Amino acid sequence: MGGLTYTMLDTTNLSTAEMYGNVLCELGKEHPEIVGLSADLAKSTKIGLFAEKFPNRFFNTGIAEQNMFGIASGMAKCGLVPFVSTFAIFTSMRALDQVHTDICYQNLNVKMIATHAGLSFGQAGTTHHCTEDIAIMRSMANLKVIVPADGMETANAVVQAYETEGPVYIRINRGFDQKVYENTDYDFRIGKAHQLTDGNDLTIIACGSCVYQAIEATKILSSVDGIKARVLNMHTIKPIDREAVLKAVYETRRIITVEDHNVMGGLGSAVAEVIIESGKGCAFRKLGIPDTFSIIGLHEDLMAYYEIDTNGIVENVRKLIGLEFEEDEDWEDEV
Amino acid sequence: MATREDIYANKIFLNAVLPLVKTIISSNEKYAKKFKNKNGIVGVSAKDPDGKVGTHYIIENGDFTVVKGPNDKCDVELEFRSIKDLNDFFAGKSKKLPKIKGWYHVGLLTATLSVLMYMAKLLSVTEPPQNDDEKDLIVKLYFSLLSTGISQLNKTGHPDVSKWVKKSPDRIFAWKVTGKPELSSYIRIKAGKSKAARGEYKRSKPFFTMRFDCTDSALGTLLGIDDMIEATITEKLIMEGAPEFGAQLGEYMLLVGSYAKGS
Repeated sequence: MGGLTYTMLDTTNLSTAEMYGNVLCELGKEHPEIVGLSADLAKSTKIGLFAEKFPNRFFNTGIAEQNMFGIASGMAKCGLVPFVSTFAIFTSMRALDQVHTDICYQNLNVKMIATHAGLSFGQAGTTHHCTEDIAIMRSMANLKVIVPADGMETANAVVQAYETEGPVYIRINRGFDQKVYENTDYDFRIGKAHQLTDGNDLTIIACGSCVYQAIEATKILSSVDGIKARVLNMHTIKPIDREAVLKAVYETRRIITVEDHNVMGGLGSAVAEVIIESGKGCAFRKLGIPDTFSIIGLHEDLMAYYEIDTNGIVENVRKLIGLEFEEDEDWEDEV
Repeated sequence: MATREDIYANKIFLNAVLPLVKTIISSNEKYAKKFKNKNGIVGVSAKDPDGKVGTHYIIENGDFTVVKGPNDKCDVELEFRSIKDLNDFFAGKSKKLPKIKGWYHVGLLTATLSVLMYMAKLLSVTEPPQNDDEKDLIVKLYFSLLSTGISQLNKTGHPDVSKWVKKSPDRIFAWKVTGKPELSSYIRIKAGKSKAARGEYKRSKPFFTMRFDCTDSALGTLLGIDDMIEATITEKLIMEGAPEFGAQLGEYMLLVGSYAKGS
């Protein structure tokens, strides 16, 4: 979970963005074509770590995001691999025309690491919350959209983004995330969901900070309700892992999606598209921010308010379990 | 007056064991021929102070329909004096014959008695037979008996089974043999309700499946020849789903078995 409240508790660990900054430095040592860009947010987005190490390969464009993405596209045209970092709200909205036309349309090798996503900049208020970026960015042709669950996964995502030709959007939180992975040694592949718990009652498909919450929810559901839930970490929203979604539909009949994003157009919608196109039926519920501008507060309080924290997931799973998934309600014709 | 335990056993015999006649006729040509072109209603019943109980078969041109409950228009009826007499007879603990009504429908009566005796023979074997078709049929009968038996115990209010079903969300528990879907049975349970069915549940993967790698492995466990834990270790028996649910299912299978054997 992002937010400042964890900094006191977790000072020995790196925040997710710091993890990104460090991994980028490691990549930078081996690959001289990597360059960094930011729009006066190098420190906040932690690309400043790269700037300190490679001052000649880092460019602060000032508060001019549109120019920054235009410059990045030009650099990519010249064979460089730009890593561009600013807040998610500025990447996906303020500079969208440049992302769309300069980068994605030309399928250029630009990596966009967008921080302070979702509600993670809670106390900064609605103008700095970014609960629309997944919907916007996954509609950009050629663009891959990744939402890592924690710092370790961010490290994997950054490395694989470098290794993948073409534009990539990685969405991370502000501050610290609760740990889902102890290290980077697991089967992370762009476009392939990672199953974290097994169960045949329902599947919780989550991304970002909601993955940890989903895992915690399964513990309560198992011990209190006897409900066995599968958790899929759908770190790649685009291309989505269709196979994993369809397997979940067949094997568990009920799916609940959880995301720190508007319920319109994000992970839930991407999963729903797969289900609808398959023609298979299942009980389905999307958890996320409703169609509203979010309120102000600490990230963890906001997650609770919008029912995307552990307790919210538990309550919604209980409701979903009560939904019918088949029409046959004749319980007497068993001879 | 029948005790609660007598009633549980009786529900197993009437609603889980006697319907297996239909399974035998649909799986075995020899017995299907015995009913060819036959018509009539055949009942098995027992008298009880709370009212007669029973199961009857409606036979139309050899096609079998099993119906729960007694029927007062039976052409042939095997009527026991009490629920306990019926239970003891089908559990093999008593040879006290029922009153037979409808002697003059000789063809229907002999066909019925022969298939009931064949069913009793199959359900009482202690060693697997030589014949492969017969092996398959025994497994199919046991899977049907267990799924329907558990459901019947729930419907009759057996405290352990109904408690298990009451708190369950909508779930499917299945019994299968790899490569032989025709032998499968399953039970669907949901918040106090239950329903057993033959064949494979195709709408989704069951919540829990007890899968045997072959018919012999299934017979090993079902006839009590193999140890269930050893069968699991050697992968003759594969539990698809959380092990604690395998343990629950195993417990209720034994419960049905104990009623069916009168123990």
